[in-house]
Amino acid sequence: MNRQANPKTRAGEATTTKTIFSRETSVSTTIFADAAIVWALLTHASDFPRWNSTVTSVKGEIREGGSIELKSTLDEKRTFKLKVKEFVPEKRLVWGDAMGSRTYTLNKGPENGVLFNMSEKIGGPLFPLFANSIPSFDESFEKFAADLKKEAETIQSSKK
Amino acid sequence: MTTDQLTVEFQTFQGELKSFLLRMTASVQDAEDIVQETYLKAHSKIDTFRGESSLKTWVFSIASNLARDLLKSKKRWPENVTDICKDAALGNKQFFQEAIHIRETSPQGNFEIKEHIAFCFTCVSKSLPLEGHLVLLLKEVYGFKVREISQILLLSDAMVKYHLHVSRNKMTEIFDQRCSLINKKGICYQCTELNGIFNPKQKAQEELLKIEMAREAENRSQDELFDLRMKILRELDPFESGAAELQLHHLEHNRQVMEKYLEENS
Repeated sequence: MNRQANPKTRAGEATTTKTIFSRETSVSTTIFADAAIVWALLTHASDFPRWNSTVTSVKGEIREGGSIELKSTLDEKRTFKLKVKEFVPEKRLVWGDAMGSRTYTLNKGPENGVLFNMSEKIGGPLFPLFANSIPSFDESFEKFAADLKKEAETIQSSKK
Repeated sequence: MTTDQLTVEFQTFQGELKSFLLRMTASVQDAEDIVQETYLKAHSKIDTFRGESSLKTWVFSIASNLARDLLKSKKRWPENVTDICKDAALGNKQFFQEAIHIRETSPQGNFEIKEHIAFCFTCVSKSLPLEGHLVLLLKEVYGFKVREISQILLLSDAMVKYHLHVSRNKMTEIFDQRCSLINKKGICYQCTELNGIFNPKQKAQEELLKIEMAREAENRSQDELFDLRMKILRELDPFESGAAELQLHHLEHNRQVMEKYLEENS
């Protein structure tokens, strides 16, 4: 499913919806850069910490069937071991574990831009037991989207 | 285009091609082999050259593919390659004896700091991912346009821009942390240390004033200093300069040290 930006939310602003058994956070923004540049930034694992202030390290390969070990500023002591579940170049990337999945989609946006959406759904039967111990993703999602937009647009406008 | 025309035109950029391949492979032997193989391929496929790009772009495309084929199975070098190779050189009497002999006897045995800056870049840039390394050299040292690099490497313009941006950032960051010529807190002094060995009567500070990048270190941004570093590479032919034999001897030493290091650490 390709998520589109919710017209009621502002670009770059994260929204979270909760149910008893799940929680889903998403953010959308329009990036004025070639989709290939946005895709390259999202799929070059070792380059993430250079441009993304929410990620401290990514090891492994972000490719079809690949797996990665990701450390984020949300919980620096924890290493998330994730599998790449879907990999459609310049369109859709999904990684996750048994707890949930993070989905990135790139669609045609206004004024030749790329509409970037990132969402993460976590949940399951045991979710209510640990829901309170999982920090909010909102701020981290907003930073991620802003960093991606800034870096992609910098590369796009590079005169070098 | 006829094969005779190819031969004539090939000669006009053969030196640049060989220098590009040396800076990609860090091996004189590999560079020479690929130049030869490139010419043979171009010769046999000249009827497929449609003039959609310049001949030089087309030939660099053949050479880049051959270099890719050679290098894609090899590990990239670590960022601190020069530290590792320095430690190895200090324990290798023969290396210094050979170097001193070249310095004393060869017409291409001078030691110049700017030559060592170019040599250092050749070693450190081998820590970049292969595509990024190719893009960076083609754009910043050999003056190809983004569109031409797209044709050479069969990448989109966007991907060329991506690799260029990432590679420039990476190299700028590494040299800012390491190179004492541009940052007083830099941890590497090898060029001035070697100048003291090979040119004991010279004052390194006076030599550094002749190098724009070092002279301007405090007045320019990191990005501008990187451009000045690239200018040094553009102006030097690693096979023809007055320091060529000494630097190529050093490069071969580093290549051998790296091969052993990467094998032991795989």
